[in-house]
Amino acid sequence: MNEGARIFLIVLSAILVNNFVLQRFLGICPFLGVSKKIDTAVGMSIAVLFVMVLASTIVWFIDRLLIALNITFLRTIVFILVIATLVQFVEIFLKKSSPSLYEALGIYLPLITTNCAILGLALLNVQMEYNLLETVFNSLGAALGFGLALIVFASIRERLELEEIPQSFQGLANALITAGLVSMAFMGFQGLVKI
Amino acid sequence: MGEIVKTGLILAAITVIIGLILGVVYMVVKEPIEDAELAAKLRAIKVVLTSSENGKLIVSEKQIPKNLKDLEEKVWKSSEDGTLFESSKYKAKVLSPAYKFVGRNGENIYVLTGSAIGYGGSVVTMAAFVKKDGEFYENAIEVLEYSQETPGLGARISEKDVKKRFYGLSSKAFQKANGLKVNKDAGILPKSSNEEIRKLKDSGVVQTSDVMTGATITPRAVVNTLNAMFEFLNQEVK
Amino acid sequence: MANTFADFTKGILKENPTYVQALGMCPTLATTTSAINGLGMGLATLAVLTMSNVVVSLVRKFIPEKVRIPAYIVIIASFVTIVDLLMHGFTYDLWKTLGLFIPLIVVNCIILGRAEAFASKNGVFRSLLDGLGMGVGFTLSLLLLGSIRELLGNGTIFGIKVWGDAFKLFMMILPPGAYIVLGLLAGLFNFIGIKRKAKIKG
Repeated sequence: MNEGARIFLIVLSAILVNNFVLQRFLGICPFLGVSKKIDTAVGMSIAVLFVMVLASTIVWFIDRLLIALNITFLRTIVFILVIATLVQFVEIFLKKSSPSLYEALGIYLPLITTNCAILGLALLNVQMEYNLLETVFNSLGAALGFGLALIVFASIRERLELEEIPQSFQGLANALITAGLVSMAFMGFQGLVKI
Repeated sequence: MGEIVKTGLILAAITVIIGLILGVVYMVVKEPIEDAELAAKLRAIKVVLTSSENGKLIVSEKQIPKNLKDLEEKVWKSSEDGTLFESSKYKAKVLSPAYKFVGRNGENIYVLTGSAIGYGGSVVTMAAFVKKDGEFYENAIEVLEYSQETPGLGARISEKDVKKRFYGLSSKAFQKANGLKVNKDAGILPKSSNEEIRKLKDSGVVQTSDVMTGATITPRAVVNTLNAMFEFLNQEVK
Repeated sequence: MANTFADFTKGILKENPTYVQALGMCPTLATTTSAINGLGMGLATLAVLTMSNVVVSLVRKFIPEKVRIPAYIVIIASFVTIVDLLMHGFTYDLWKTLGLFIPLIVVNCIILGRAEAFASKNGVFRSLLDGLGMGVGFTLSLLLLGSIRELLGNGTIFGIKVWGDAFKLFMMILPPGAYIVLGLLAGLFNFIGIKRKAKIKG
């Protein structure tokens, strides 16, 4: 298998087969929280895409440093700090350089700090022993997968708003069952990619 | 401005204090962790050196290492960077050190540790290979690390019933074109009788889909580790 | 005294972290493939949550408002690292079993959620009770979810056979089952809540 094909499979598997939200259970809070409208879902997805790729790339370099210094037991705490700082920087930078983009993404950025998908992805990349190129593309795939799940889910929820649902099942209960059905649909991709 | 400096200082202070606490805790637990890891390794060696056929040790009792010194005497091969062999075909590694024992009938027994990537990280497996009539026979395995696998699915690799499926593999099982496989990858439906499962093993297929339903990636990592070990042994032992 | 007691009990039903507040969903869904796994994750969270609540409450006066979130995240993450290291060194077998859950605790928003919503505003003792109560509520929720999924998916509870292979719905152990069972349980909790309110009213 040549390198290009392998990268393609990593991306495909991160989007469809091992979808972060639907199969790996990471980033459920924003998935349930900001999926009521398609607009916000799209905004969140773009913000996550941006932060995920940037954070995992930076973290990859930092991890080399941790390995060189032989302090890998500090991994989690260092990664969390880096991600929190990064998000703050991105926020300040956007505010100064591109107010319109900040307007669009600004409200999602603080939410991202506490999004476990970012830390989960950073740790996963390390555990899977990916090199820099694979890390970047796996992050891209994971973020696209997150976006895909979020937007599909938001579209369904927008329609469900118009339906009559028993009182006890409104809100969280209904959202979870819908997510279960979407997840079941994604199970169909199982076995599509074998790396 | 003064406000920002003050906040920054407080944050820095928190980080420094926490860094110090973590450092102290790490120093304190470093030795116990090493001891615990060693004890686990010694237990694993005993497991893989127990015959999968009759439950007796395949080496004499006094050969089983009981402490670090005993263990170091058994080292067969080791390397500086921690890896002895990397199989590009199976995407698995044989880790350093490898151990060598002498069996009850004077045969050589190799105890290897290897790893491959599972669902969320490394799956580390230890296995004992016996050299009999010029061929390698895998006796038993122990799964040392599987902490990134899914609880209830892949993590069931540590259950006895699952591990037993990887016990007792003859060299015939490894000599197929693509090495040892799990039955799901080989496209074979699970068989129910022990006799048939045994036969599958000889044809290079380990049946796991009935004892750990739904998990394919974790057992695949284990068979690939075993494949890499087999490749390594054939290359190193003439 | 009644108030103090309520700090503990509210987490179990009225403000149940899983079914009512929808906190800590990621580990909830990921680890409840069986009753024992649900219990393990619940207990590990209970311990970390109680201790982090106490620590956050102790230092709450020294931390400036603006940086409290990063500060709490650092405190929690280092806390989990310490627990991980101590368990690794001193209780190796337990660490092997619970080790699966430890990295998941760091990203469990229930811990940060309680630090922010309760421990940063209340005294040490009340924060301790809140942590214990929420932890117990979380553990019970996970145990319930894990038992149901194991029963439906594998026909067993805690590994004890309840019914034969004919009724196994393997889907329940896989991700979709997690969402569906949790959704149904959340619906049930809502239903109980609504009935209760109606009773009080009239």
